[in-house]
Amino acid sequence: MTAMIEARHLSKQVATSEGQLVILKDISLSIDAAEAVAIVGVSGSGKSTLLGLMAGLDSASGGDMLLDGQNLSTMDEEERAQLRGRSVGFVFQSFQLLPSLTALENVMLPIELKNDRDARQKAANLLQRVGLESRLQHYPNQLSGGEQQRVAIARAFASQAKILFADEPTGNLDAATGARVIDLLFSLNAEFGTTLVLVTHDDRLAQRCGRMVRLVAGEITEDVSVDVAANVGDAAHV
Amino acid sequence: MSESAQTVSASATTLMRVALRLLWRDWRGGELRLLLLAMVMAVTSVSGIALFTDRLERALVQESATMLAADRVLSGRQQPPREWLQEAAQRGLATAEVQAFASMVFSDQGNLLVAAKAVSEAYPLRGELRVSDQPFGAAYTDNDGPARGEVWVESRVLPGLGIDVGDTLYVGDGEFVVSRVLVQEPDRQQGGMMDNAGPRVLMHLDDVPVTNIIQPGSRVSYRYLFAGELAALDVYADWVREQSDGDFRLRDVRDESQEVSEALARGESFLLLGSLFAVLLAGIAIALTARRYSERHFDYAAIMKTLGCTSNQISAIYFGILLSLLIIAVVVGSLLGWLVHEGILILLQTVIPIALPAASLTPFWLGALTAFICLFAFAMPPLLALKHTSPLRVLRKDLVDAPLSTALPYVFGIAGALVLIVWYSQDLLISVILVGAVAGVALLLSAMSYLLLRTGSAAGMRAGSAWMLAMSAVRRRRRQSVLQVLVFSLTIMSLLILALLRTDLINDWQAQLPEDTPNHFMMNISDSQVAGMQTFLQENEVDANPFYPMVSAGLLTVNGAPAPHPWDDDDDEQGRSTMTERSGDNDRDADADRQDTEAGGADATDRPQRVENRQVTWTAQLPPDNEVVAGSWWAEQSIPGRVSVERDYAERIDVNLGDELVFRVNEQEVTAIVDNMRTVRWDNMQPNFFFIFSPGTLDHLGATYLSTLLLEGQEKLLLNDLLRQFPTIVVLEVDALIEQIQSIIAQVSSAIELIAGLVLIAGALVLLSCVNATLDERFRENAILRTLGAGRKLIMTSLLIEFAFIGLLAGVIATVGAELSLYYLQSEVFQQEFALHYWVWIAGPLAGTVIIAGLGFAATRKVVNSSPLAVLRQLSA
Ligand SMILES: Nc1ncnc2c1ncn2[C@@H]1O[C@H](COP(=O)(O)OP(=O)(O)O)[C@@H](O)[C@H]1O
Ligand SMILES: [Mg+2]
Repeated sequence: MTAMIEARHLSKQVATSEGQLVILKDISLSIDAAEAVAIVGVSGSGKSTLLGLMAGLDSASGGDMLLDGQNLSTMDEEERAQLRGRSVGFVFQSFQLLPSLTALENVMLPIELKNDRDARQKAANLLQRVGLESRLQHYPNQLSGGEQQRVAIARAFASQAKILFADEPTGNLDAATGARVIDLLFSLNAEFGTTLVLVTHDDRLAQRCGRMVRLVAGEITEDVSVDVAANVGDAAHV
Repeated sequence: MSESAQTVSASATTLMRVALRLLWRDWRGGELRLLLLAMVMAVTSVSGIALFTDRLERALVQESATMLAADRVLSGRQQPPREWLQEAAQRGLATAEVQAFASMVFSDQGNLLVAAKAVSEAYPLRGELRVSDQPFGAAYTDNDGPARGEVWVESRVLPGLGIDVGDTLYVGDGEFVVSRVLVQEPDRQQGGMMDNAGPRVLMHLDDVPVTNIIQPGSRVSYRYLFAGELAALDVYADWVREQSDGDFRLRDVRDESQEVSEALARGESFLLLGSLFAVLLAGIAIALTARRYSERHFDYAAIMKTLGCTSNQISAIYFGILLSLLIIAVVVGSLLGWLVHEGILILLQTVIPIALPAASLTPFWLGALTAFICLFAFAMPPLLALKHTSPLRVLRKDLVDAPLSTALPYVFGIAGALVLIVWYSQDLLISVILVGAVAGVALLLSAMSYLLLRTGSAAGMRAGSAWMLAMSAVRRRRRQSVLQVLVFSLTIMSLLILALLRTDLINDWQAQLPEDTPNHFMMNISDSQVAGMQTFLQENEVDANPFYPMVSAGLLTVNGAPAPHPWDDDDDEQGRSTMTERSGDNDRDADADRQDTEAGGADATDRPQRVENRQVTWTAQLPPDNEVVAGSWWAEQSIPGRVSVERDYAERIDVNLGDELVFRVNEQEVTAIVDNMRTVRWDNMQPNFFFIFSPGTLDHLGATYLSTLLLEGQEKLLLNDLLRQFPTIVVLEVDALIEQIQSIIAQVSSAIELIAGLVLIAGALVLLSCVNATLDERFRENAILRTLGAGRKLIMTSLLIEFAFIGLLAGVIATVGAELSLYYLQSEVFQQEFALHYWVWIAGPLAGTVIIAGLGFAATRKVVNSSPLAVLRQLSA
């Protein structure tokens, strides 16, 4: 089968006042549909940059990036935006909800952008799935961090994306809340059969994915399969 | 794939729905409210002012047309050819004919000198004839005019002749029945002496031959009246000029009353300038709030992009938001504009006695169009920059997009401002001056703020830490600080310009025609009558004014050379004529008698020199409202043979101090040396003279005297006694004219107050949005400072210093800019004398410091009062 995500010799460098800064070099990686992959590494190792490239939020300096069979490198920003709307969902460390819209409206947004008439109903259902059925009309600043992240997860699945990118989704949450958010993420992921790319600096969280890719200074140093079953129990202890 | 592509792209209605939702939800945040407020403000001030001026102008045009009883008038001492009337009728113009002459009328009981006026049936073409059935009775309108064999007379005629309505009155050989009492005629003040020499007797034009009064050589004022379409009038005016080789000219109301047309022109300029400032300030407020709104929406745009929104869709969404704002602003602003102008009309009911014509729709279009231009020039660029937001922002918060720092918004803003300026001023001069002033201020600003930022920081080393903190904040935000100083100084400058102009204009007008302005001229008083008249006035408890001797003098030579004609270089301009000359002459086209004389008989082929006769006087005292600007006024023991010349007139005939002038006065030649130059207030409706001689120069040359009186209401009946006792004098009644001018000036003044108020609101909006613009950053900075241990008091002091410093800088620049602009505006546009406003040099900077410091402090107080942790958490979220 063809890979859902495929990076070929991907590199990224930026011009800074101190000259060229190489953030990523020669990254090759292939992720199959419905696979769950964790990208780990210390802060500053290039995880977010890689995620941005894979999701088509940014363009690479070299190499090819294929998403859902389409080559991002040959697409312009407009085409990439459309591809994102079709196939990609996001969960971010800082939630990234629109502060002036209610929880319900935030989840409705991606559904509406697909001209779906049932946006309100579908969004309400998803919020019920994440346990926020009583908070539909609340604004983000009226919700706790965990609740905001649950709204963000509901929004991510609202567009019925094939691929979900999560950048340190528990980074701004305490351990217990983080664990519940992760449980939710994984159970929805299993339910929708989504491909999941999870960026984290937390090795234990990474253990819950079937595969772990380690980045050190912009290079992949490790790419291993993980026995998920063996680690499920661990989460309870986190 | 293709199927999914179709479902993905959001439709226009979807985007509009998202836009409306964002608009609705963002309403809770302050920026949108400010943005909308600024736009509403722009629409309100433009439509309100335009409505007001539109209706006022129509009313004034109507009212002033009634001052002529026509749209255009053709007049002369000789009767213009009758065919010209037929020609005008063929061109679709309405025509009427008037002949005015002074005449004695008789009754069985007595006689009276009256201003007789014979009119054709069509008279009046504009305005109304108001009549009543008994003296001082209730008035009603009757535009038919007197029938043949009848006359209408002013109330004063009846007691003067000892008769009543229905009795008989004789004009020359004609016998007439007095059928109505004439209360008001539109063109009462027209026609000079013929029309103002006494109370009015109005008769039918066809009755004139019966009277046998008009003989060859009689002084009669012939007037043809025309009314009709502007274009047709203009074409006909050209035709008349060609036919008469320039001897006859069609005049309109602006030729008639310099006082009114000057007040109107200045008032209009002020209103235009005011609405321009209001709109520009609203535009700045729009730009600032839109910018802040869009800065807040970078994250929105980035998030929506991750959700699959394309750049174009982002643009569509924000375009939708702007469009909705535009519609709301236009609707609300137009409504408010209507209310504002209705409010002014109610306030002005007492000074606008005339019924105003309905407003046209144009003002609403102007308002909407202005909002549209403001929106696209000032709000659109920052909002459309949102589409360039990188979606990567969601991953890297520190990623600072720089779309707003591009020149595009400024280019749009300046272009928009230029369009508005040219459009509103409709006058390239004002535009150029304004642009120049703005550019000057900007230049001055960059130089000064650079300097001050340097010295400020140097001084900070020695002063306390609050000062240092403030100065480092100013320097850190140098770009923002400079922008703030620019915006503040432009705002304060606009307010200063308007406030000073307003005060100067209104003071000027009040000085021009004070409440107690004399409203009657007494002329043709002989030497021997002066003492008797003074006694008469004293007995009747009427204040007497100076009696000026008056004689007609023609300037022959200057230092031996023939005197140049003062108005030769522009034939169209009539030049100034004094009140005395205007009233004393029935044909104002020639502002003084022109005599042709053989000067320098040696060259017989030469065109004879045209000598202008001027009414001149002599006096030991400098008349009020006159000011000596060169040389000095003669002392009590003055030497005969000196003359004082009005400055502008002296310039035109190229006369300097010490020159020797030869005049011809009553067939005698008189020589006088120019002793001094004066300025004169031409618009004060008082006796003014181009030449004033020293006593003893002209005394033997048979002058008559001139004086003025203030008579109001019933006091006018005194004129009957006065004229009976001194039958040879001539009284010119200008009370109606003065009242008319005073009422027009009062209207214009009120309008000026209003616009100044509106601009003040617009200015406050700008200040508020400008202070708000830096709020987020201040929140963050101060939270950090406080976590680092800076006390509340220190931060508060430093904030105060920072704003006060910016305010001071802005105040100084604004004052300089305002005075510079005023210098040009007053001397070039408003025809006023410019004088530095000393108090402003203190008040301007002080006001800047206090207002900006106060506003800034009030707005940022919550920065200091919120807990640093809350601030940091809120900002990081
Ligand atoms: N646009 C950029 N300009 C300059 N430096 C960048 C840019 N993007 C990323 N970096 C640098 O590249 C490194 C990797 O960043 P990032 O991918 O965010 O790391 P991680 O997510 O693993 O913490 C960091 O040192 C970051 O400062
Ligand atoms: Mg990261």
